Amino acid sequence: MKLIRKTKEQFAFSLGQREKQLWFQVLQMYPLVPPSHHQLSKKGKRSSQHEDQRLLEDAVAEQRRANRQQVLAMLAEPGRFRETKNDIRFSLTPAEIEWLLQVLNDVRVGGWLGLGEPEELETPEINSTNAPYLLAMEVSGFFQSVLLTALGHHEPTPFDES
Amino acid sequence: MAATAIPEIMPDVGQEEKTGSKSELDSAWLVVCWNDPVNLMVYVTHVFQTVFGWSRQKAEFHMKQVHNQGKSVLARTTMEKAEHYVHQLQKYTLHATMEREE
Repeated sequence: MKLIRKTKEQFAFSLGQREKQLWFQVLQMYPLVPPSHHQLSKKGKRSSQHEDQRLLEDAVAEQRRANRQQVLAMLAEPGRFRETKNDIRFSLTPAEIEWLLQVLNDVRVGGWLGLGEPEELETPEINSTNAPYLLAMEVSGFFQSVLLTALGHHEPTPFDES
Repeated sequence: MAATAIPEIMPDVGQEEKTGSKSELDSAWLVVCWNDPVNLMVYVTHVFQTVFGWSRQKAEFHMKQVHNQGKSVLARTTMEKAEHYVHQLQKYTLHATMEREE
């Protein structure tokens, strides 16, 4: 997947066939992180903590329902993905990129949780049970990188350290 | 990832609250972002810029603090604003919490 054109309102991307399959596969996994993963506080000393936590989980669940509907609508939208002779083209608005980044990071973090939260550079032993989580984590990370690069970001290099 | 103490000097944290009354300042809340090794560094920078409206330089400073020290205090503010920021950060699946300043 690569950015082929960008204006203020639209980002046009080119996808290969296999990339399109992976795009659908990963987005259909959403949501992958359980709402209870999010905690309002590490300490939790307030008497209203449990109620606040419940409200947070309700808010997260509601937002995910809305995101899930939006994802499914995007994937089913007629004409959204246009096949050409050599590739598949589709466009996203800046707002769509923003919520897709949220969606993709949910899948990425959910995949990481499913793998047992390995540390950086630690490769877990892969088996038939956790392989889908590895796919979710790696592929969503790839698509996140493409979207972030399209927005003008780049991964810091050692030369960026100050 | 080793945990570290909250830095004593955070020159760019909570400037907006400095004009508050003493009681407001006494009940300040800290918005803390914790390190999850799965998050892309460039993604964390983007989220900080989006949620707080920061420059890339400031967002990268806090991203590196999260990455290198395990956490970063992103804001010192009222309970209501801290809840808002935490919710915004969690929408992006960042590990963020609010802690009462001690």
